[in-house]
This record gives sequence, C-alpha cells and structure tokens, in this order.
Amino acid sequence: MNRVALIGNPNTGKTTLFNRLCGVRAKTSNFPGTTTSMRVGHHTRVDGRGWEVVDLPGVYGLSFDGPESRIVRHVLHGEDGQTKPDALVVIVDATNMSRNLILVGELLRSGTPLVVALNMTDLAARRGLSLNAAVLAARIGAEVVPIVASKGTGVAALSDAVDRLSSTQPAPAITPPPSNPDAMGEWADVVLEAAGGSLKESASDPLTERLDRFLTHPVFGTLVFLAVMGGLFWTLFALANYPMDLIEATFAYLGKLATTYLPNGPIAELLSNGIIGGIAGTIVFLPQICLLFFLISLLEDTGYLARAAFVNDRFFRRFGLPGHAFVPLLTSHACALPGIMSTRLIPSRRDRIVTILVAPFISCSARLPVYVLLTGLLFADRPWLAGPAFASCYLLGAGAAFTSAWLFGRTVFRGTPRSMVLELPTYKRPSIRTALLTAKDQGLAFLQTAGTVIVAICIVMWWLSAYPKTGPVPQAEALRSHGLVQEADAVQAQAQQANSVIGRVGRTVEPVFRPLGYDWQLSVGLMTSFLAREVFVSTMTVLAGGAGDPSQDPGVRQRIRTMTRDDGRLVFTPATCASALVFFVLAMQCLPTLAVTRREAGGVKYALLQLTYMSSVAWISAFVVFQGLRLAGVS
Amino acid sequence: MIRFELTVKDCPLAPVRLCDLEEGCAARFHEASLDAEARDLLRALGLTSSSVVRLCKSGEPCIVQVRATRIGLSKLVAGQIYVIPESRDAV
Repeated sequence: MNRVALIGNPNTGKTTLFNRLCGVRAKTSNFPGTTTSMRVGHHTRVDGRGWEVVDLPGVYGLSFDGPESRIVRHVLHGEDGQTKPDALVVIVDATNMSRNLILVGELLRSGTPLVVALNMTDLAARRGLSLNAAVLAARIGAEVVPIVASKGTGVAALSDAVDRLSSTQPAPAITPPPSNPDAMGEWADVVLEAAGGSLKESASDPLTERLDRFLTHPVFGTLVFLAVMGGLFWTLFALANYPMDLIEATFAYLGKLATTYLPNGPIAELLSNGIIGGIAGTIVFLPQICLLFFLISLLEDTGYLARAAFVNDRFFRRFGLPGHAFVPLLTSHACALPGIMSTRLIPSRRDRIVTILVAPFISCSARLPVYVLLTGLLFADRPWLAGPAFASCYLLGAGAAFTSAWLFGRTVFRGTPRSMVLELPTYKRPSIRTALLTAKDQGLAFLQTAGTVIVAICIVMWWLSAYPKTGPVPQAEALRSHGLVQEADAVQAQAQQANSVIGRVGRTVEPVFRPLGYDWQLSVGLMTSFLAREVFVSTMTVLAGGAGDPSQDPGVRQRIRTMTRDDGRLVFTPATCASALVFFVLAMQCLPTLAVTRREAGGVKYALLQLTYMSSVAWISAFVVFQGLRLAGVS
Repeated sequence: MIRFELTVKDCPLAPVRLCDLEEGCAARFHEASLDAEARDLLRALGLTSSSVVRLCKSGEPCIVQVRATRIGLSKLVAGQIYVIPESRDAV
C-alpha cells in the first residue's frame, strides 16, 4: 500500500480526519496541470509502516462537470497525469447516511478498494440515530469503521482496516450498487434500512431548526451577519497589529544591521532597501492573512458561513452576484489573492469570473497604510473626520465592486447568477486544530505565490529608484557643512529620486495624471504603487526627503504635507488628497493580483480587462473628485 | 354488488410546486424541470425519486430538508420542482 486517497461529500470532516492521520507536516500543492489545491501527507502506523495520504476535494458526486469532480474522476482512473491511489477511504457523515451512501455507491462501482469511515458517530448517537456497521459492511462489500475524527476516536482501527485491504479481499456485496445513477438513491435507502438506519425525519436536529429560523431570518439574520462581520474585522485589526508591529520592527533592525556592518555601496543598499525591505513588505501582511483564514475556518466549521451566504443571496443577486461570492469578497479584505483563489467554490463559470473581476475593488490590507497617510493629510486639522473618511474608503470599494458586477451582468457577462442550491451543513463546534492548520497552509501559500513576486518587484523598484546615482548636491553639501546631517541626507535623497530612472519616468507620465491634480512626485508614487500599493507610502517618504514611518513619526508626515511642486505650490492640497484617496480605493495596483486573475479566470484577457476597467474607473472618479472640488473652491 | 364511494379526501393529490408547499409540511418528490447541473447536484444531495422533501422555511431563498440534508434553494429552483403533498393540509 503506497497511496491512499481520502474522499467524501463536503462538510463530512474529511480535513479533520486528514489532519488526524498525517499531523501537521502535510504539504499543500496543486493537482498536476490544475489550479485545484491538493494536500498530501504521510500516515505512519504504530508498527512503523505507513502510506501517503492524498486529501481529494470534497465532491457531491462523480458525474458533475465542475473542476473538483473532474479531478476526482481523473485521480480514480489515473488519467490526465494524476496518480491512481491504491485504496480509498470514503468518509461519510453518520447523521446523513442516505445521502452520503450515494457517493459510496458511485465509488464502489469505480473498482478501487475502499474502506468507509463512518464519522460523527457521537453526534448521530446524540440524535438517536443507530446503525449496524457490520451489516452495512456486508451489504456494500467493504469494511465500515465508526470514528469521531474530531476526537481521534477509531482512527487507529481505520488505519488497521486500510492496512488489511492489501492482504484480504472483502466479501462480495449483498446489495451491489446499480449502474444507473438515477437508481443510486433507492439503493442507498435499501442499504441504510437493512443496516438499521433511519430514513425519516428523526435525523433532523431541533437545534439546527431553531438556529436556522433565527440566523436566516431576513431581519435578525442580517443583524447577526453584521454583528459577526463587525466582530471579525475588529478582531482582525485589533489582534494582527501586534505581530505586524513586531515584524516591522524586526526587519527595520535587520536593515539597520545590514547598513551598519556592510561597507557602503550597492550591495548594502540592495540588501537593506531591496531584499530586506521587499521581504518585510510581504511578511508584514502575513498576520492579517493567517488570522483572517483562522477566523473564516472557525466560522466555516460551525456551519455559519453557509448561512451567511444564504442571507446575502438576495442582496448579492440584485447586483448579478451569487450568494456564494460572499466568502471570496470577505477574504479579499485581507488580500485579493486568496480572495480570488477562493472563487473556486462558486459553481457557475460566469459567476466565478464576475466575482474575480470585482474582488480587487474590496479594500485589502495593503491599502491600509495609504488610507492612513492620505486621510491624515486630508484632515490634518480636523482629525475627527479622518475615521469616517477611512470607513468611507471601505464603503466606496464595496460599492464599486457591486456596481461593477451589475454592469458586467448587463454588458460583457450577460445573464443572471446561477440560482441558489446550497447545502446548509449541520451546526458543529469548530476545531481549533483544523483552523490553525488552515491558517498555516494559507499563510505558506500566500508567501509562495505572492511573496516571491512582491520581493522581486521591490528589488526592481529599488534599482529603478537608486540608479543612476546622483553626485553630491551643492545644497546638501552646504547643509552638511553646517552640521545639519539629517537635513542634508534628506535633500540628497530627494535629488536622487528626481534623477533616478523612476523619477524620469514620473516626469514623462506626469501629463496623464495632471488632470487629477498630481505632479511628477505624486505620479512617481502612483507608478511605484502600481506594482504593490503599500510601496506608495515609502516612495512618498523618500521623495519628501527622509526615512521612517509616517504613521508613527509626525516629522515625516509634516515633511510629506509640506512637499512642494516645482512651482512652489503644495503637492498635497485637500483636492489632491481626496482625488488620490479615491484613486487608491478604485485602481488596480497589484501585479500579483493580475497574475492570479489570469490563472484562475483562465486567460490573460480577463487580467487585461480587470486592469483596464479598474484603472479607467479610478482615473475618471479621481478626475471628477479633483475637478469638482477645484470648481467648488476647495484646492 | 360492491359500491365504491370516492370522496375528495380519498383522491390522490396532484403534484404542486415545492415553493407552494406550506411551511413545515412534507411531500414526495415527483419531478423537476431543471437544467442538468442543478438536477445532478440535487440528486447528489439526496433528491431522488420518491424521496421525502420538507419545506422548512418559505420565502426567497427557502430552506428544504431532503432526508437529513438541509438545502438552501432559490425560489426559481423550488418553483421548478414538483412534489406530491403527504396531506391536503400541506398546500
């Protein structure tokens, strides 16, 4: 026995069982030639032997046209570059046997040796559901092992049963599954009744009934949803700040070490500003991403996320999105990359592509430093207005996402979203262990997919802004001769930026952004932030002539606020700040997102559409805001 | 000679749309005029011939229970599924 695949309906505890069998050392990758992720681990038995375990995507049936069912079919038959497993562990929900047996019937017909893991037997017992596992095994011709995956009960027995598959042939089934898929439901009912299972409503759960009545209520359900989301974001921003500050401080220290101990020159600059700065710029978002996925995993485990999608369906459908789009849009608040990747759970391709195209409008964590800087500049003398302005940015992004989805549904992606057919799983106590492992997996996936790109971008940006080198500037030298070293460094850095490749590019593109009120310096900020939004803050800090964190250092903020154009006017007027804020909310300024859009939507044309559409919306909106405020005398 | 007297109560009930069922009432699945994708998904969720369906919550969307599975269904889908009520009070 070399390779065992775990398979089952969604919400049957498959991932929990996988974690029990393989521990924390599982690896996440993609199925060969696909974008569907696959977790592979190794199960080691007490006697030291073991096998590779592959966690297949949750499927309701093998005959569907979706990517998950297609992969499972290819894996079962060893087709299309997939490796055929030696055996299957079919995990079934003991509280919902008649439905789960339909998949068991389909898998029995595939011919691969299998063991049935009868999960959640504790929950079934609490609901008064009983089942004779031995009779069930005799009926289907495969071993049936009762387990409670969340507690680890029965996992050793399951391992033994899988081990026996390589040495013993199971007895032929008393009730073999039919070949006609339409008859599979009746077969499942016959088998279940023979094994003493219940087909009646005794399987329904009064607690689920009561909770559903409340949580899916048009008014109460919406209030609960708003409270849950409010709690989630409060937790996200309150808790993630601590590790984020720690990461920033650590990398700032490492950068300082590099400049202190390495001789002055391009290597020290590349290491401190390019590589260390680039890695810091990526890793700083890791706590928010891990925490968001941890919280989403907990919510999903409880069964609430499906109810949230249910409650939102009516609202989403008005804008041409399905209720399923709720999770991807929620995830996009941390980062559009995992948000776009989670659109895979949307069944319809049209709905999936529309969601992918609008997801980057949702304000992600990379926009936060920009919002902090610009709202701070806009309301420097009225700080109480900065908070509402900050919240308005979130609302503007969400509004743009829904309006754009509505527009796409009436133009390039005509049609209505697919009507809802959504399983509402049983409410359960969430598994902290599963949530931690999910957060770890998603964090690593983020580092692998985005990290490499962002680090590469930061290195290139550093080079473009650092070369060609500008010689000593007379004004800086004069300041230095008076002992004003910090001021001299600031003037020298400003001159360096202005004469660098990116500075020259900024002057070239300035006419494009002039109608929005931006000069060449702000244009440079926009250019650099196109690759990664958060780079805007560091670029403006350098252009203002200094280093540091503007959110912490009022001196830096003051320098940015008093930055002047070539003609001596201020760079950041109220109208310019408002225009830039709107531009940052709406613009597509993230190269890794475009790469993921191309991959997930299945073509570069979708990435180009996203880039063109979002950039146009951002430019036009920023133009309207700037010119409107200018005409109103706010300038 | 045996005389049969049929009353309205004894007549077999006609199929009705699932969305027209009274909340909380059960019925047997009769037929569905759905696209292949939705039909396959509902079959995999347990909606097979003669299976019992209960309308747990009416409205848009509604919640139905098929066997032990609770399913959120849009009214459009529920309107394309025909069921035979278990009793006359169900409609």
